[in-house]
Amino acid sequence: MNWVLYKRGIQGSWKMLLIFAAVITMYFTVIISMFDPSLGSALDEFAKAMPELMAIVGMNPVSVELVGFLEAYLYGFIMLVFPMLFCILSTNKLITRHIDRGSMTYLLAAPVKRETVAFTQLAVMVTGIFALVSYATLLGIVNCEISFPGELDIGKFILLNTGVLCLQLFIGGICFLCSCTFNDSKYAIGVGAGVPTLGFIIQMMANAGNELENAKYATFFTLFDSDGIIAGDSGAIWEMLVLFAGAIILYSTAIVIFSKKDLHI
Amino acid sequence: MSVFEIQGLTRDYGKRRGVFDLSFAINQGEVFGFLGPNGAGKTTTIRHLMGFLKPEKGYCSIGGKDCWKDRDDIQKNLGYIPGEMVFFDDMTGTDFLAFMSKYRKIQSNNRTKELLDRFELDARSKLKKMSKGMKQKVGIVAAFMHDPEILILDEPTSGLDPLMQNRFIDLVLEEKARGKTILMSSHMFEEVERTCNRVAIIKNGKLVAMDDVEKLKAEQAKKYVITLENEDAAAAFASEGLRVSGVSHNQVTVIVKNNIKELISVMNRYPVINIVTPNQSLEEIFMHYYGGGRS
Repeated sequence: MNWVLYKRGIQGSWKMLLIFAAVITMYFTVIISMFDPSLGSALDEFAKAMPELMAIVGMNPVSVELVGFLEAYLYGFIMLVFPMLFCILSTNKLITRHIDRGSMTYLLAAPVKRETVAFTQLAVMVTGIFALVSYATLLGIVNCEISFPGELDIGKFILLNTGVLCLQLFIGGICFLCSCTFNDSKYAIGVGAGVPTLGFIIQMMANAGNELENAKYATFFTLFDSDGIIAGDSGAIWEMLVLFAGAIILYSTAIVIFSKKDLHI
Repeated sequence: MSVFEIQGLTRDYGKRRGVFDLSFAINQGEVFGFLGPNGAGKTTTIRHLMGFLKPEKGYCSIGGKDCWKDRDDIQKNLGYIPGEMVFFDDMTGTDFLAFMSKYRKIQSNNRTKELLDRFELDARSKLKKMSKGMKQKVGIVAAFMHDPEILILDEPTSGLDPLMQNRFIDLVLEEKARGKTILMSSHMFEEVERTCNRVAIIKNGKLVAMDDVEKLKAEQAKKYVITLENEDAAAAFASEGLRVSGVSHNQVTVIVKNNIKELISVMNRYPVINIVTPNQSLEEIFMHYYGGGRS
């Protein structure tokens, strides 16, 4: 870990982080305000009217509690897509662009190991993901406590966010691995953004149910079983750990590849 | 004792691009000119020395350390000016130099200040708004600020005005006097002539010539373009037994090595209107010496 480079990376990402935080704040505030503990929410009316459409974007509540409501309306789409976008943009900025433009030269023309450079840039990305998910967790808790004191099962909500964190760390791993592997930014961005996006689309198709349901076995998004986490299913916890372990494997592979590859800079 | 050692270095990009079985060594305290036309393999060689590329065959070392395996160790004592200046876009020059200084863990910034003064560089503006020459100066400061023992300079004066080119040459001469070992690729004859002990020329990835600069200078062939009154005079002039490399209309191009007096005496007998010595590239000058320069 090189702290000078880490500081530089954080300085370079905080603006982007702020934008994502603002978007998440907006969604959380609007959606939480739609919850009505006694009558069911306006969103539930939508879900009843258009079950297929709402299911595609993961909005099919399994529980009438507040935590189930948040899970259905925020953790089926918003908290999947926005942090994912952050991972894609972040790795592009931290690795791909430096290799593509050639500014990586200055990071390596110094007595700093390639492993250290890669690990530091990774740490910047992980910090970003962690900050984003922690912010969402805090935002959710504070928002609910103000509007519906005592209604939110905070333990389950934190567990749900831990699950999202593991998923996003895994997605970040895919992006990071691609940016460390491909010399051509076209492939680094194409594959790095393409694989998670494709995974998400397959998940949406599987959500639509019917004959496509088995498609869920073709995407790693299935390992983030938000319904299972809310229902207290132990299998869901194991799946979370699988994602986390997968992320670690992706990171290590990426760092090894980056250290051994030819750089045309 | 040799500081740089390149032994049978090979990297084949196909279509005769890359470097092939390249071997040379550079001694302690030597300034070594590394010349060749574009695409000859200079940058590829330098990338191997910097540890960016792993040799397909052969090996290279700096200060006895393997350029691939011990790259970060080598970098402690190495300064590098890349052929192309690309920085982090959103920084000012001052920020960048401060970043590099901390990144490299340099204790004192006196050297940086001295270099900024020497090149009259005010680095406070944004890097992406800087002119090519200013960026080049930032790159020079970044390469010399930690006072390295070894320097790899890839076309270090490109984009600099003649005054600054001279200051750069002075800087290299000072470093040379202090015993630094320098590998420098260049297209500027003056730069190489004034600073280098030896030069190597590579072409199509192969070493085609390597010799002392003094020796090359003594053997240097110069080109003169003589304009005569008319085409007949030009034709007659061309058949005087001088080494003629071309005739077009009323102009004759003559190659002269040591026989400048002979040229002058011939010119005296003809209606010469003008005489020009066109700028010759370094490669051209040296390749004449080795014959077969034209391909």
